[in-house]
Amino acid sequence: MPTCAHCLLEIPAGSAIDEDEGGREIQFCCPGCRGIYMLLRSEGLDDFYRRRTGWIPGPPEGYVPDADGLADSVIARDGWHEATLAISGIRCASCSWVIERYLGGRKGVTSARVNYATGRAKICWNPEAAGIADVARWISQLGYAPYPAESLATEANLNREKRDLLVRFGTAAFLSMQVMTFSTGLYAGYFQGIESKYESAFKAIAFALTTPVIFYAGFPFLRNAMAGLRNRVVGMDALVFLGSFSAYAYSAAMLVTGGDVYFDTAGMIVTLILLGRYLEAAARSRASESLTRLVRLAPRQANRIRGDGCSTPRTETVPVSLLVPGDRVEVVPGERIPADGHVIEGTSEADESLLTGEAAPVRKIAGCVVYAGTINGLGRLVVEISKTGNDTALACIVRAVEEAQARKAPIQNAADRVVGAFVPAVIAISLLALAARLLWGESPASALLASVSVLVVACPCALGLATPLAVFVGSAAARASGILIKGGDVLEAGASVTEVFIDKTGTLTEGSPKLADVIGFGETPERVLVLAASLETSSEHPVARAIRGGTKGADLAPVKEFRAHPGMGVEGVVEGRRLLLGRDEFMAGSGIPVSDRQRESFRELSEERKTAVFLAYGERIIGLLSVVDTLRKDAAAAVGILKEGGFRVRLLTGDSGPVASRIANEAGIDSVVSRVTPAQKAEIVRAARSEGARVLMVGDGVNDAPSLVEADVGMAMGRGTDIAIESAGAVLTGGDLLLVPRFLAMSRKTMRIIRQNLAWAFSYNIVAIPLAVTGHLHPILAAGLMSVSSLVVVGNSLRLKKGGIGP
Amino acid sequence: MRTIFLLIFISTVLGAGAWLLFLWAVRSGQYDDTEGPKHRMLDDGPEDGRGGDKESPD
Repeated sequence: MPTCAHCLLEIPAGSAIDEDEGGREIQFCCPGCRGIYMLLRSEGLDDFYRRRTGWIPGPPEGYVPDADGLADSVIARDGWHEATLAISGIRCASCSWVIERYLGGRKGVTSARVNYATGRAKICWNPEAAGIADVARWISQLGYAPYPAESLATEANLNREKRDLLVRFGTAAFLSMQVMTFSTGLYAGYFQGIESKYESAFKAIAFALTTPVIFYAGFPFLRNAMAGLRNRVVGMDALVFLGSFSAYAYSAAMLVTGGDVYFDTAGMIVTLILLGRYLEAAARSRASESLTRLVRLAPRQANRIRGDGCSTPRTETVPVSLLVPGDRVEVVPGERIPADGHVIEGTSEADESLLTGEAAPVRKIAGCVVYAGTINGLGRLVVEISKTGNDTALACIVRAVEEAQARKAPIQNAADRVVGAFVPAVIAISLLALAARLLWGESPASALLASVSVLVVACPCALGLATPLAVFVGSAAARASGILIKGGDVLEAGASVTEVFIDKTGTLTEGSPKLADVIGFGETPERVLVLAASLETSSEHPVARAIRGGTKGADLAPVKEFRAHPGMGVEGVVEGRRLLLGRDEFMAGSGIPVSDRQRESFRELSEERKTAVFLAYGERIIGLLSVVDTLRKDAAAAVGILKEGGFRVRLLTGDSGPVASRIANEAGIDSVVSRVTPAQKAEIVRAARSEGARVLMVGDGVNDAPSLVEADVGMAMGRGTDIAIESAGAVLTGGDLLLVPRFLAMSRKTMRIIRQNLAWAFSYNIVAIPLAVTGHLHPILAAGLMSVSSLVVVGNSLRLKKGGIGP
Repeated sequence: MRTIFLLIFISTVLGAGAWLLFLWAVRSGQYDDTEGPKHRMLDDGPEDGRGGDKESPD
């Protein structure tokens, strides 16, 4: 089957648009693709087709440039305008390349720079020659969708935090390196002798260099330690501050009295822990940036019908927030329904998979209730709004998600748990050392020094790297294989998962129907299929797509007088005779007799929850076709690996029993819970958790969102709905189910590495603390052990990247 | 003997310079996109891409 030269989608035979390109025949699936191809070529940008990589075939999503919404992003500069826009659809480096080149060549645009990592574009233009509306139009012409960049406030905060940490870390690292230079001199002097004036000069310089490290670079620790003190919590920050500050203060005192100084220790603690924090912030902001691009911020607009009843009704575009119950809105084909209401005019079908998880569209005629967020099919509808904003069915689910999120306690970091026990112990040992020495009859000054040196050596700087570095490397490796992880806690929770719950539609199955059966009545099935596919050539209905997809490139017949009857069927004229495709009511309504045998076959297919349609040619039914949502091809393999790994796998679905069991059987799942509402799904997850199970929930729809939050780990499919993606802790960007067992293996491996790291970090202290208590800690030994333990932690964490993901 | 202090002075000045350069780099956003430039580097300038050998995009 030929593929479209632009979007790489397969072209149904007979509908290709041929184009002669320098003697070479190329084909397009639709005029839109041809238009974009020609546009790129006329701009000399057809290099794009050679350099694109990682292209996911698919037409650009329906997007209407919203110039008003973007206008807020425009900053008026001296003589030019500037805007930073978030661009959805950037998937590879060539995307940013084509946008830059195309915009750069437009009239009035002075510069266009696309940040590939964040998917942001900064565009400057001359306001006299162009406007933001033009810029938006140009970008959407290329198949990308521009949005206001400030849409997610959390992301801006994350970036500010990341930058602040980078400056602090850079400053601390730089100064600590200088301190090291002088400390090395002092250590050398320790062995081979050093003139006292150099020694005191070196110590003074080290003091001057360490001061800003403690009080500027280490300020976040001081601030958090103080906040913790007020709430009576001793956390990691308190330990860091206590350790670094006591080393600093002790050394400052030694400056006066003359003794060994630990300025390098103080500086290194702060530096390494800041590095850990920076890596953590970088990993998080990277995950959130990728997520921003996954989340499709739908234009929040509606076509309100203005009319007093007698004059011709006119529509106006208004923000959804301005709609009130009683308003009438027009919903054009393919558009999202803006609010809950009921149909007063028109016939169509609505895709309610968002709410119900069921892929088959639901027929809507006058009087039917429609829900906000569901997608209108092929017919135009006039809807009278009954519920808006927070009262809609969609908002109720979103609220359930928010409540579940608020209720769920954040899991405590592995390092924090250890620190929680470690810090009081260190303080106790230090006090004990002080008391013991005083009892032994030592001078208060030397007793105090011994107790402070316990605090100094107890602060494990490797501890600051132990968790963040492993999480950073682990989530980078996961991202490379297509799993986005939102934070270290997700990996930690993933390591203890015992049960895996999987949603059916869109997660275990493809979510889009495929052709299942073709039955001929007095005709061969092949002939029935070719005729049906010919008729469905120009329809975008899911059933039509499934039928076309089933033809495997057969030659289709031309269709004349094509007409769609939304929710019923389609008709057209092929080879001079009328051809109808549709449900049994459509046949009856068109005066075509349906025999008992045909009705029986139809009923059988319907019982298997297949969507069946009759095909009538002339005045006689010649065939019956059915489509069904099929299992993802990797589903059975993924379930097999999970079961082998000792996980209990359960299927959760809103569908009826027989369908659910059929799908479960195919996938090899033996535990099925069918006919559950979104709230019940969450309830089942909660019940399993209260019985002691650790649950991983995999889902994609709005109806899964509450259970995704409720589970220990929620995992959303990358093509899933915004709410599912936002509710989940991990996202499978490619939708490959084999990544589920991969993720579980990955999190267990990461946790194992973290535990090893912590053990190493603390082993240093186990050696050093007794030495400090007895007053025998050699400064060289302290410094050496400290570097070794940090290096071990770094090396150990990097194993996550190198060794691949073993079980 | 005085050389060592001179060297310390020079290293401090050089170090301060490096630190200021780092601050400038962070402020001007050099660390914001660490992915894009390595791809951009491989792009030629705008050129007339018409004609020549085209691989079929499949």
